[in-house]
Amino acid sequence: MTSEVKNLLKELTRKELLEIANQKSIRIPNNWSNQLIIELLSLNVTSDYLQKNKSKTTKSKKTSDNTPIITIKNLVKKFEDVTAVDNLNLTIHEGELFSLLGPNGAGKTTTVNILNGIIKPTSGNAIIAGFNVTKNPDEVKKIIGVCPQDASVFPFLNARENIELFGNLHSLSKKEIEERTDKFLELLGLTEASKRKAGGYSGGMLQKLNLMMALINNPKIAFLDEPTVGMDARARRNTWEFIGSLKDEKKTIILTTHYIEEAERLSDRVGIIDYGRLVELGTPEELLQKHEAKNLEQVFLNITGRRIMEGL
Amino acid sequence: MNLLFPALLTVVFIFTFSDPEMGMSINSVVPGLVVYAVIFIIMTVAQSFSSEKKLLRRLNTTPMTSTEFIGSQIISNMIVAIVQVIVVLVLAYLMGFRPQSSFEGIFLALPVTAIFALSSVGLGLITATISKNPEMGVGLSFLFILPQMFFGTFMPLSTTTQEIAKFVPSHYLFEALKSIFEGNWINTNFFFNLAIISIVSILTIIIGIILYEKHGNL
Repeated sequence: MTSEVKNLLKELTRKELLEIANQKSIRIPNNWSNQLIIELLSLNVTSDYLQKNKSKTTKSKKTSDNTPIITIKNLVKKFEDVTAVDNLNLTIHEGELFSLLGPNGAGKTTTVNILNGIIKPTSGNAIIAGFNVTKNPDEVKKIIGVCPQDASVFPFLNARENIELFGNLHSLSKKEIEERTDKFLELLGLTEASKRKAGGYSGGMLQKLNLMMALINNPKIAFLDEPTVGMDARARRNTWEFIGSLKDEKKTIILTTHYIEEAERLSDRVGIIDYGRLVELGTPEELLQKHEAKNLEQVFLNITGRRIMEGL
Repeated sequence: MNLLFPALLTVVFIFTFSDPEMGMSINSVVPGLVVYAVIFIIMTVAQSFSSEKKLLRRLNTTPMTSTEFIGSQIISNMIVAIVQVIVVLVLAYLMGFRPQSSFEGIFLALPVTAIFALSSVGLGLITATISKNPEMGVGLSFLFILPQMFFGTFMPLSTTTQEIAKFVPSHYLFEALKSIFEGNWINTNFFFNLAIISIVSILTIIIGIILYEKHGNL
């Protein structure tokens, strides 16, 4: 029986193994090999469970197709002497959860800020859903949702009011705003606190509110810049589940993070960025295989000689 | 705060300065108090726009433009200025202020002050542009507040400072309000003062918006 389970587990990718571990509330250290994870999981799951789970993961994989929705060409951003983004070329597909992984200061946020129209590139361009971000920023803003790194909320409004305000800015109907607000508050566990002023929220609660405000307009493309910074482990897991559920809605998600586990668990593809340059690109499994690594931290270490958390 | 401050200022200044022995009557102090209230809008705008840069940046990722946001701030500050005038005038009236003009004449003070509020919002935006945080915004706003307080209101001026006052926008609001409250605005330089106030205010607000949008980290 166990060998059958093991064989089934061997067919799964590392990301799928981690998903199952997460479902079973089993904590897997980053440095564990796939073999070790399989050994542990084989003691905790049945073949029936895996069959059911397999159909789920297959379904979730189908949410990403190969239609390009973001095309970045020769993108450069310089701040005086510092080159924050250095000749970036990248294509992100519709329905894909794409992670930009890199240390603090690597150029992830600058890239995202160019894509959502906050800053202009020094040279190069980016096309989002057919619109040039520099020439047609207003069109781009209609289809994106942006969750900035720092929780930017109105402190004197409560969670519900903050979310509703952003819904109104996107000209949503009152009914639509109410329905989505209720759904988000429940999914992220903020219903009880939703009538308290946001100024009194903890860091984790603010980040959740930050995320809900970004998604109220049901965006085609969501930019989530370090969405789980400042959250405790439980809140982070809860948020990962929430982000994962967005994939079922066929949203394209661009996630920037310096959390290895976050990138490994959630991403269809990962772009590793260092000193503003894209140094590696692929699915987590491809990268692990290519670099014969146990996790993406090791991949980053192999490429740059540094650990991600060390920063620049 | 926007209403409490002018109210407090009105009470304190009328008690302190409206002394005939000092050569100042309550009627000569009140136009200056209205000017004071509006000048301090510079500080509140500088503070709020310095502290809300991240939020403004976020709003800029929605279909609402920063110009629309700034526009809403301008309108709300013009309304605040009008309410401030009403608060100052009502309090001053209760303390003995008796303007010479008719009710319609006094009503004229409201739009004139609202136009001047544009210059305060503009100077507040300029201050916020160069401020790295709200505290710096408050501090720097006094570079614009103090000259207008001392050279452009009821403070006694020497021959030299009278010349300086000609370059201070609040001087023209003070003169315009004085002529309104004295009931002889039609026979004075009121329209000249109004023209100066309008031109300076429009120029200042345009410069403020351009600078803040370009360099205010939006």
